[in-house]
Amino acid sequence: MYIAFPGSYAESLVNQIINWQCCPRSLYSPVNCPNFPPQPSAGPAQLSPSLSGLSLQSQTPEALRVVNLLQERNLLPLGPVTPPTPCLPQDLQKINCHPEVFRSTLTSIPQTQSLLNKAKLPLGLLLHPFKDLSQLPVVTSSTIVRCRSCRTYINPFVTFLDQRRWKCNLCYRVNDVPEEFMYNPVSRSYGEPHKRPEVQNATLEFIAPSEYMLRPPQPAVYLIVLDVSHNAVETGYLDVVCQSLLENINALPGDSRTKIGFITFDSTIHFYNLQEGLSQPQMLIVSDIEDIFLPTPDSLLVNLNECKELVQDLLRSLPQMFGKTMETQCALGPALQAAFKLLSATGGRVSVFQTQLPSLGVGALKSREDPNQRASAKDIQHLSPATDFYKKLALDCSGQQVAVDLFLLSSQYCDLASLGCISRYSAGSVYYYPSYHQQHNPAGVECFQKDLKRYLTRKIGFEAVMRIRCSKGLSIHTFHGNFFVRSTDLLSLPNVNPDAGFAVQMSIEENLVDMQSVSFQAALLYTSSKGERRIRVHTMCLPVVNSLSDIFAGADVQAITCLLASMAVDRSVTASLSDARDAMTNASIDSLTSFRTSVLTIQQPGLLAPACLRLFPLYILALLKQKAFRTGTSTRLDDRVFAMCQLKYQPLAYVMLMIHPALYRVDDLTDEGALNVSERTIPQPRVQQLSVEKLSRDGAFLMDAGSVIYLWIGRNCNPNFLTQVLGLPNYAAVPLNMNMLPELDTAESQRTRVFVGWLREQRPFFPILHVIRDESPLKASFLQNMIEDRTESALSYYEFLLHIQQQVSK
Amino acid sequence: MVLLTMIARVADGLPLAASMQEDEQSGRDLQHYQSQAKQLCRKLNAQSPNRCTLEAGVMSFHYVLEHGVCYLALCEAVFPKRLVFGYLEDLQTEFHEQHGKKVSTVSRPYSFIEFDTYIQKTKKTYIDSRARRNLGSINTELQDVQRIMVANIEEVLQRGEALSALDTKASNLSSLSKKYRSDAKYLNTRSTYAKIAAGAVFFITLIVYLSCVLLPFITWRRTILLQFELAPDLTI
Repeated sequence: MYIAFPGSYAESLVNQIINWQCCPRSLYSPVNCPNFPPQPSAGPAQLSPSLSGLSLQSQTPEALRVVNLLQERNLLPLGPVTPPTPCLPQDLQKINCHPEVFRSTLTSIPQTQSLLNKAKLPLGLLLHPFKDLSQLPVVTSSTIVRCRSCRTYINPFVTFLDQRRWKCNLCYRVNDVPEEFMYNPVSRSYGEPHKRPEVQNATLEFIAPSEYMLRPPQPAVYLIVLDVSHNAVETGYLDVVCQSLLENINALPGDSRTKIGFITFDSTIHFYNLQEGLSQPQMLIVSDIEDIFLPTPDSLLVNLNECKELVQDLLRSLPQMFGKTMETQCALGPALQAAFKLLSATGGRVSVFQTQLPSLGVGALKSREDPNQRASAKDIQHLSPATDFYKKLALDCSGQQVAVDLFLLSSQYCDLASLGCISRYSAGSVYYYPSYHQQHNPAGVECFQKDLKRYLTRKIGFEAVMRIRCSKGLSIHTFHGNFFVRSTDLLSLPNVNPDAGFAVQMSIEENLVDMQSVSFQAALLYTSSKGERRIRVHTMCLPVVNSLSDIFAGADVQAITCLLASMAVDRSVTASLSDARDAMTNASIDSLTSFRTSVLTIQQPGLLAPACLRLFPLYILALLKQKAFRTGTSTRLDDRVFAMCQLKYQPLAYVMLMIHPALYRVDDLTDEGALNVSERTIPQPRVQQLSVEKLSRDGAFLMDAGSVIYLWIGRNCNPNFLTQVLGLPNYAAVPLNMNMLPELDTAESQRTRVFVGWLREQRPFFPILHVIRDESPLKASFLQNMIEDRTESALSYYEFLLHIQQQVSK
Repeated sequence: MVLLTMIARVADGLPLAASMQEDEQSGRDLQHYQSQAKQLCRKLNAQSPNRCTLEAGVMSFHYVLEHGVCYLALCEAVFPKRLVFGYLEDLQTEFHEQHGKKVSTVSRPYSFIEFDTYIQKTKKTYIDSRARRNLGSINTELQDVQRIMVANIEEVLQRGEALSALDTKASNLSSLSKKYRSDAKYLNTRSTYAKIAAGAVFFITLIVYLSCVLLPFITWRRTILLQFELAPDLTI
């Protein structure tokens, strides 16, 4: 038995450890000292539940401070929005699961369902289970200690009755402590089971013994499926894909068993024989797309290490091979069937690159979008798939441990609502690059390149399953994300990647009377790219409360918003978009009404909200104006469906930036209050409200919208900024398509670039930077993010608040 | 055709390496054989024959035990035994050379899963009939293949089961005898109690009887005495 902190996680240690330990930008307030412990938050956090009830009468905790939204205009905190801290005893909270990994919409769980119904807030969990971590204890042990009745893994929140017995915190069964567990390998001492790493860490990983394997661990298997029809070749994406694969071929996660294969398709399916010993790759064409078969079964998927030269050969010649193709048809369905056949013996990852609506064979689709209806349509049609072919195939794939990732590079409608099913049910991911073209859209190309690099080199888990358990009395009823629910609570994930998020909704089945706290545990069993079977376990503990005011005090507005967004996506597909929009508005009205009638003792005029929910109406309005749910503004159907996909499977931190971008003024960056990380000084400008009134013509503003960053230059912008940061003589010289900040040797340039670089490091994908001025075509999308302002079709923030107030005081 | 290959440590049955099954296309479900193979590896011990063929219906397991490591292959029963053992010997030589020293120290299952690459390559040379011709050497080397023991998989697995059944029966017996003993003890004490109780009852009855018989006598005597005593008064 040994405990290890794997070396691979130690890369760029200092920076990441800080992120993990105390101050990820998006969640914690800036802390200058890297070793500063997490700040205890204000409010009832330090009090036990019984005490906090008492203290409410004498003094209101910060979270419940009443805010009149109509009067207080500036609600955004100076730094990022922090999640509330559960009111648990300090020693428990210290080891609780990190909120970036595991988060609940209510950090205080109501005692009964009726109490929850009264609060009108959704109860659910948000997970980012496979997040890249800088520190992860790994335990190798022949027996993994689990509860004998509910199979919960032993965790920091169990109680030891004595040295020999422990009580499960989920089902309350008393279990024996196995002999092996009595020895602590970290301190090399005997008889201290409560000091074992399993009981000291809320997040850790086990190396699984052979009982956790149905078959020998599979090798890493990658299959690249490329559209090579005329339209695809025209966009020039093949160059980028092949180049990126060539550059990263040694960085693909795997070991000496790693396998790779290629399929290309237009109206026929092309296979590539890459068997060792051939002088060059052999192309095999199957034109019978009605009944697809594999022309040669064992040399299409080859060992990457042994056939690397042939693979590189193929990648170099592939872009030219189809240079003069006149074939416009595209048989995606049969190509996917072929991919499934090829991988079904081992499982693995299929990466599909598609540039148009599939037109041949099974799974052919017809255009369902009427461009004239984009803005005017009352209700959005065609959000659900046109055929169940892709879903069925995805389920077959899931059964054989195959995941399909879809890269959609297209300028026309591709019916993502139908195609997306292939990734959704096989636990893949979807990438979408609208209007992709090598020459006409250089920013898109750069973004595609960076995304591909991350995609090819990021960690990957194969043949995974995830189970989420919760304390007796609570039950999980709906799951959000990309997966297939195999049995009631087992999520089948043929692949799991570090950028995937999940959400679940819960209900309270039995009253949680007599319980101080409840726990939640997510266990992810996967095969690493090195052929190790591992189990990653996250456990979170939350207090149980019995008063409405305590529930409100523990509300996590960001988690609530994200869960509501996922629920609204489901609603717009099953019912209608307008239904979903109403539901979101009602969610904010209902919870504020409940707060007004049940918690507030003194009635005051205005729209009153507890401080912890003060951003709720703003976030709801932002959601209503988000691409996924907006109406009245011309939105392409694929853009909308893609935004919906993202809301469902992106982790909370990225979804929040998508919903409510961060706006900073950057022409006057100073080192005041700056962060110091690994000898870099990162300026921390204030987050501004998303309103045009905040933009001043003599400034420059940076908007971080998650997948894209805009730098807006005011017409009378400080000439110092133009010359020192952009390297341009005057405003007129700002080019219309500028995507880079020049590396100038000035303090201002240094600061700005460090700040942008730091923002980019916060997420695994690469946001493109657009420098825009008044004449830029992208100005419209920049202004669309100004969600506090009024547009022709949508209310301003103030109007929205008035609308809510009317409903609340009814 | 070799359908499944597995290399395991004999001491505890820990799987060290295996080749992924690649027969999905013919639609055969190998899950059952897979678990049989796992069981078999756990059953084998130092006393098991070094080379053995185990029949399992239309399939056969063949294994080679060497240096505390078991090399197991599953083939169709009609597949030439000579080839399988040649294949297993080949694996054995290579595996022992590459990883032989580390076998006793590992604790993680499938620690040498990367050996799979070699397994697959070797398998190909033995299956491919064209390549097979080049393997003339195995004909001479494995003349004694005929002498390899043949047994039935069910028997081998059940031998263990029978033993374990015997074991459970024995433990049942011992627990039964224990129960008998405690019952007997209990009965003994009960009978003792019964005797004591009977004695007690007897004595109580005796006392009651005596008291019944003697009391009137005594009272009568006392009455008489009283009478005698009263008499003087009366006489007064």
